[in-house]
Amino acid sequence: MNKFIRVDMTTLNVTTDEVPVKYVGLGGRALTSNFVADEVKPTCHALGKNNKIIFAPGLLSGTTAPNSGRISVGAKSPLTGTIKESNSGGSFSQKMAKLGIKALVIEGMPAGDKFYIVKIDINGVTIEEAPAEILGGCGNYKAIEVLSAKYGQKVGIALAGPAGENRLPSANISFKDPDGNIRSAGRGGLGAVLGSKKVKALVIDETGAGAVPIADPEKFKAAAKVFAKALLDHPVSGQGLAAYGTDVLVNILNEAGGLPANNFTAGRIEHNDCISGETLNATITERGGDGKVSHGCHPGCVIRCSQWYPDKQGKYITSGFEYETIWGLGADAGIKDLDDIAYIDRAMDDLGIDSIETAVAIATAMEGGLLPWGDGKAVLEAVNQIYEPTPLGRILASGTSVVGKVCGLFRVPVVKDQGIPAYDPRPVKGIGLTYATTPMGADHTAGYCISGNILKVGANIDPLKKDGQIEYARAMQIGTAAVDSTGMCLFVYFGIADNPGGYQALIDMINAQYGIALTAVDVDKLGESVLKVERAFNKAAGFTNAHDRLPEFFEYEPCPPHNVVWDFTPEEIDEVYNF
Amino acid sequence: MSEQSRKTIEVRGFLHLDAVFRKKGTIPLIMGLEDPITGIELAAKLEITLDEIEVIFVNGFVQELDYMIYPGDRIAFLPPGCPGPYRIALGFYGKNKSNESNFKIKKKE
Repeated sequence: MNKFIRVDMTTLNVTTDEVPVKYVGLGGRALTSNFVADEVKPTCHALGKNNKIIFAPGLLSGTTAPNSGRISVGAKSPLTGTIKESNSGGSFSQKMAKLGIKALVIEGMPAGDKFYIVKIDINGVTIEEAPAEILGGCGNYKAIEVLSAKYGQKVGIALAGPAGENRLPSANISFKDPDGNIRSAGRGGLGAVLGSKKVKALVIDETGAGAVPIADPEKFKAAAKVFAKALLDHPVSGQGLAAYGTDVLVNILNEAGGLPANNFTAGRIEHNDCISGETLNATITERGGDGKVSHGCHPGCVIRCSQWYPDKQGKYITSGFEYETIWGLGADAGIKDLDDIAYIDRAMDDLGIDSIETAVAIATAMEGGLLPWGDGKAVLEAVNQIYEPTPLGRILASGTSVVGKVCGLFRVPVVKDQGIPAYDPRPVKGIGLTYATTPMGADHTAGYCISGNILKVGANIDPLKKDGQIEYARAMQIGTAAVDSTGMCLFVYFGIADNPGGYQALIDMINAQYGIALTAVDVDKLGESVLKVERAFNKAAGFTNAHDRLPEFFEYEPCPPHNVVWDFTPEEIDEVYNF
Repeated sequence: MSEQSRKTIEVRGFLHLDAVFRKKGTIPLIMGLEDPITGIELAAKLEITLDEIEVIFVNGFVQELDYMIYPGDRIAFLPPGCPGPYRIALGFYGKNKSNESNFKIKKKE
C-alpha cells in the first residue's frame, strides 16, 4: 500500500502521493490517530473546514489473513470533541488495500449545497455530483441499491445517511457489506463530519487490481493457518459467537447484576428471556426464511458473529443485531418485543445513526418524559422522525448528553458526551475505568483486547472490588489500541489472549507481509504510543483529567441487585494512564 | 425469604444449556433442596457434564464449581462461550482454574 490520497472538497481537487515516511509502518487506528493529531487543529470545530476525515485499512487488510477486513475512520468527533477512531466491517478496507491505498483523506469544504460522490478505482479518484434520488431523506438501504446499480453490484460503499447529511452528532458512516446490507463505523458522529464536507458517499471498485504483495508468502500462509486455527479452536470465537452472536451477553450480564436497566437505575431485568441471545438464536432458527443464525460482516471472517434476523414470515429485517443495541432498547429502555427492537435497529442502520448512542439517548428521553417507557412502536415512530428531521428527530440524533440537557436530568449516562454502553460500571468496575479514561469517550470497545499474559492482570479480579482494576483497564486499552492498528476484528482477542501461539501468529503474518521483524513488545509499544498521541490531541483540544470521570450519580445511586456505587477516587482513576 | 424458597433453589442455564433446561420445565427451574450441595453435585443431578460449565453464578456472583449452594440461592450454569473482556472483568479467570472446562484451548484433530 503506497498511495496516500487527499481529496480537497474546497477545490474538488485530488492528489495522490507516496505515503509519508512516518506513516509507512502504521495502519488502522495507529495511522488515523497519528494523522489527525498531526494535521487537524485540536481546537477546530468538528463540522468546520479545518477538520479532516481519514479512511485507512489495517496492516493486514486485503490479504488472506482471517478477520483482517476492518476499516478505520478517524477525525475530530462532533459528539465528544475528542479525537475519534471508529471502525467497521464491510468490504471497503480490503478493496482499498488491493488498490494499494494506505489512506484516503477528505479535507476542506465546498461552498455550495451540492452533495458529491467520491469514486475510487484503478484509474484514480473522481468527484461527481450525487444522484438526487439518494439525497434528502433517502435511507441507506435504498441508497446502496441505487449506487450499486450505477457503479456495479460488487463495489464497496461508505455512506453518510440522512443523519450524516444533516450533520447530526450521532451520525455514523455506513458501509455496504458483501450482501448489500449495512455495517457501521458507529460511534462519535463521523457521518456528520462526512456530511459537513458534502460527501454523500465514497464508492470503491478494485476491478483490475492485483493481489496485495506479500514479502514472504510461505511464512505468511503458515502463520495465517495457525492464526485461523487459534480462532476456530476457541470456544468463544469458534462456537459461542457464531451460535448466539454478541447478544449472548444479555443473560450473563443480567445474572451478574451488571445489565443497566431503566436508564441505569438497576442492573437486572425480569424480561431477559425476551431479548437474550438464546432467544434470538431460537427465533431465527424457528422462523427460517431469510434468517441466518451466523453470518460474516466481511470476506474472510471466520468468526461469523453477525446474523440475519427475519420477521414472522421469514423476511429479512436486520443484520448485525448486536448486544449493545438490544440491551439499550430492550433493557435500558424496557422494550420487551425483539421484533420491535429489530425494526428500530433497521431504521437506525437506514438512517445512519449510532445504535448505541441512540438507544441510550432513547432511554434517557423516556426518563425525561419525551417517550413512553418500553413502547417500541412509539420509539420507532420517533426514530423515523430523524429522516426529515423533525425537532424531536434532531434531539434524539444529537445523543444522550443533549437529550439529558433538553429534559433537565442529572442521570445522564455519558463520558465526554458519549453514551455509556451496556455494562454498568458500578458492579463491573474495570469497565468503568475504561469508560472514564479512554480518549474516545465512553466506549466499551476501547478496552476490549489484551496482548500479554492475561492471568497477570485477570487472575484475581472481583468485579465489585478495586483490586487489580487499574492494571486491567490499562492493559486492555493498550492491547486494544494495538489490535485496532492491525485492522483486525477485536474478536480475534479470544484467539490471542488465551492462546500465546495465536498472538505470535498475528505478529508473524505482519512480519511476513512487510518483511520486517516486529516482536510482541513492539506491538505493545505501538498500542501505548497510539494512546499517548490520542491523549495529547485531547489535551490540546482542552480536555484535562477532570474530564476522565463518570457522571456523579454513579457515586450516590446504588445499583441493585448488588447495591454498589462507583467509588474510585480521582487520583486512582488518573493512575490508569500512568505509563 | 418465603417458606417455599427456604427449601428450593432457582436454576438457569445459558448458551446451549438454556434449551436443555427448557426441555426440563419452565425457566427458571425451581428445584427442591433441603441441604447444601456443591455446584458439581447439582450439575450431576441435572445431568450436565463438567466440560459444559466454565463457571457458575450464585446469587449474581461468579463462583467455582465446588462452591456450596444453599436453599434459597439463585444459580446459573455458564458453558464456555462468554465473549469479551467480561470474562476477566466478571472474575472468571480466578474461578475457573480447576475446571475441566477451564478455557484452555482444546486440542482438535
